[in-house]
Amino acid sequence: MEVLLQLILNGILLGGLYAMIGLGMSLIFGIMGIINLAHGDLMIVSTYMSMVVAMRFSGNVFIALLITVVVMIIIGFLCQTFLINKVIDKGPEPPLLITFGLSIILQNVLLLIFGADAKNIPTRVSSENIVTTPWFSISEIYLINFVISIVVILLLSFVMKKTYFGRAIRATSGDIVASELVGVNTKRIYAYTMALAMATASIAGLLIGMTFTYSPSTGTQYLIFAFGVVVIGGMGNLVGTLLGGIILGLSQMVGSYFFGTAYQLFCGYIVLLVILTFRPQGLFAGARK
Amino acid sequence: MLNQENKELLTVENLDVHYGDLQALYNVSLQISPGSIVSIIGSNGAGKSTLLGTITGINKPTRGKITFKSQDIGSVPTHTIVAKGITMSPEGSRVFEKMSVEENLFMGAYLPNARRKRQELLKRVYGLFPVLKEKSGQLATYLSGGQRQMLAIGRALMVDPEVILCDEVSMGLAPVIVKDIYHKIREINREGMTFVLVEQDVKRSLKYSDYSYVMVKGKIVMEGPSSELPEDEVKDAFFGIHKYA
Amino acid sequence: MALTKTNNAAASVKIVVLGIIVILLFTLPFWAPENIVMIFLLIMLYMSLGQMWNLLAGYAGLVSLGQQIFIGLGGYSLAVITEVYHLNFLLAIFIGGVVSVIFVLIISQPIFKMKGIYFSISTWVIAEALALYFLNWAFVGYGLGFNIRTTYEMSTSFLYYLSLVLGLGSVLLVYIIMRTKRGLALMAMRDNESAAEVMGVELYKTKLTIFLISAFITGMTGAVLYLNISFIQPYAAFSIDWTVASVVIVIIGGIGTMEGSIIGAVVYVILKQFLYDFPGISMIILGVIAILIILIAPKGIMGMLHDKFGWEVLSPRRSPKKLMKMIRF
Repeated sequence: MEVLLQLILNGILLGGLYAMIGLGMSLIFGIMGIINLAHGDLMIVSTYMSMVVAMRFSGNVFIALLITVVVMIIIGFLCQTFLINKVIDKGPEPPLLITFGLSIILQNVLLLIFGADAKNIPTRVSSENIVTTPWFSISEIYLINFVISIVVILLLSFVMKKTYFGRAIRATSGDIVASELVGVNTKRIYAYTMALAMATASIAGLLIGMTFTYSPSTGTQYLIFAFGVVVIGGMGNLVGTLLGGIILGLSQMVGSYFFGTAYQLFCGYIVLLVILTFRPQGLFAGARK
Repeated sequence: MLNQENKELLTVENLDVHYGDLQALYNVSLQISPGSIVSIIGSNGAGKSTLLGTITGINKPTRGKITFKSQDIGSVPTHTIVAKGITMSPEGSRVFEKMSVEENLFMGAYLPNARRKRQELLKRVYGLFPVLKEKSGQLATYLSGGQRQMLAIGRALMVDPEVILCDEVSMGLAPVIVKDIYHKIREINREGMTFVLVEQDVKRSLKYSDYSYVMVKGKIVMEGPSSELPEDEVKDAFFGIHKYA
Repeated sequence: MALTKTNNAAASVKIVVLGIIVILLFTLPFWAPENIVMIFLLIMLYMSLGQMWNLLAGYAGLVSLGQQIFIGLGGYSLAVITEVYHLNFLLAIFIGGVVSVIFVLIISQPIFKMKGIYFSISTWVIAEALALYFLNWAFVGYGLGFNIRTTYEMSTSFLYYLSLVLGLGSVLLVYIIMRTKRGLALMAMRDNESAAEVMGVELYKTKLTIFLISAFITGMTGAVLYLNISFIQPYAAFSIDWTVASVVIVIIGGIGTMEGSIIGAVVYVILKQFLYDFPGISMIILGVIAILIILIAPKGIMGMLHDKFGWEVLSPRRSPKKLMKMIRF
């Protein structure tokens, strides 16, 4: 029984991290209506970047985070302006295929530079338990992941609701023409949205790097997670994304309890497929279209 | 053709617009004087919305020139044209459904010069359309047709422009409401705002405007000071009675 | 009159040229060195993959990111049937196709409920789920996989002829499909689903049929591919790389055209051969080319040739009279 409780708790904590992985994708899909198939790979790129910077600065993850976020934002901005914006009004397939191409390129570039071995970001934050009770314990890194994720999501919510920047983004996702008619440069808003997505992805990337091992092909797995989070939680709905992450985390952990750890991922995938079949608009829909 | 001293606020010269292979506007020319209300009358498919869309940069002209305050705006993106001082209350209102009435109005004042005067502009809009103040916290999606139209015009006012283009503000609305809206437009015009009104109702267009253009199938077939245009002749032209087609 | 004469002349030239190419292909092992035969072998197989992905995405509007499902199923069918049951490899290849078809039938209900991007990602998720399942399945040797030993006795020429049949067969199949009632329905559906539905085109049935056909051929292609590779393990068999290849081939060659897959396959295989020692770089280059094509010439090489010069080698179009006769669903 305690094992199950522990797993449920871990599922929730992990869910926060998963939510943050899905955040970027939720933003992009919610606002631009496209799925960025390179989302997972971009995140892993930021993980590798953090690793390199951290090693350069003797394990200082804060500097790593800072530099990585800035670089990823620039990359996101460039990708949006020069790649995606060029095809965004040409139908749903071109952006999808371009991000697919980007995904291929990124994975292979990482493979070339770093090789296929699993890596990890060395950190002073450990997997030691920080809270221990007779019924369950909470590991330090899991807790930090969860807290950071909640903070980021709350911050983003605030920006979206109360700032002109956030309003411009919401307006653009609602009606492009009407937004332009009040002076909003919608193409640039798309670029900013992508930059925002990249910022959250790089934070998630750093946390992933500290918590798990990763390799160039890990991007695919997290792409599916991100998609899962977004689908389960409903598009463009920030709180829904959090809940989506938690549900995904829970289905993984609980699945592993009943079917064994090897089937952890598998359970997550099956839950996603089931939801896609019966309620593709997400469990907490109310968002666009 | 060349105005050395172009006193007109907005001029459209010899405009052709195509949708792919389909031509929508044929050699359209207009002049909008500052502080006037100009109406463009025509039935469905006459090209009125295309014209407004081209002025605001939503459509690209194939040929011709659009000048605003002596600047060529033919190939300029919409948000830049808005920044220069032209905006539109689009066909169907197109309010931001998931935002509240007040947020919609806030968005109207997105650009810096409007944002600075936001409170003042907001007060003015609420003064003109009290129902918007009543419903300020409500989501735009729950408004009635007439209220949406007022919101669209209010939002356009928040931009603090020099010219507001109104695309069929009366569509689907009860005559009482339409009358109210038109009175408000007149009031705003008296304070200096230039309006271009696109309409299908001949009588109303002639009544509330200073100058009128009649469009049939993408061409201007008739124009003149509204008071001087005989209503039945305009109606004939409107229905494409063949001497004007 | 003169126009018809030129058309007939052009058509005759086309047929003669095609005929010569086919003859050359059939006699290849007799006059070409082995490594060239190998290259054409791969071109044939990848061409088949491209044709099948194009059938789904370019004609039926179903962007599948899960072609690796059928490759994996086909490959494992081959492995299991020859290694575990010791049966004939031709049977195994056929079973590879059949298993793929059955799988599609199983997932057809849920998956066709999903539209657009949901469909696409679901196909990817299903493939990943399959990979994980096979990884943990004792029957197929977990992650260790199989050595496929039937292949050890086979010559390159023999394998080449197998591939030739699949490759040319896939082109022929698509050509035939496009000229049937179903084919017209397909193109109508691709261009406007709701309009097509109104005209009585049975969307679901048509989509399903196309998906089944695509699965069948891709499954068999997967089996023959693994006959070449002679070793199978889950991560490689169900890897997204197979879809990547299919997508890249079709984009470069020209989506929605038959010749596109041919051109794309040639480009793909040759690039990979040249950069054999640097597999990562070839994929990067292919990715860059694909992106450039989408940005600059979204219809691919064939599309560009068609637009600029009116080139069309394998046109599915029939004469107007025949068309009118056919449009009586």
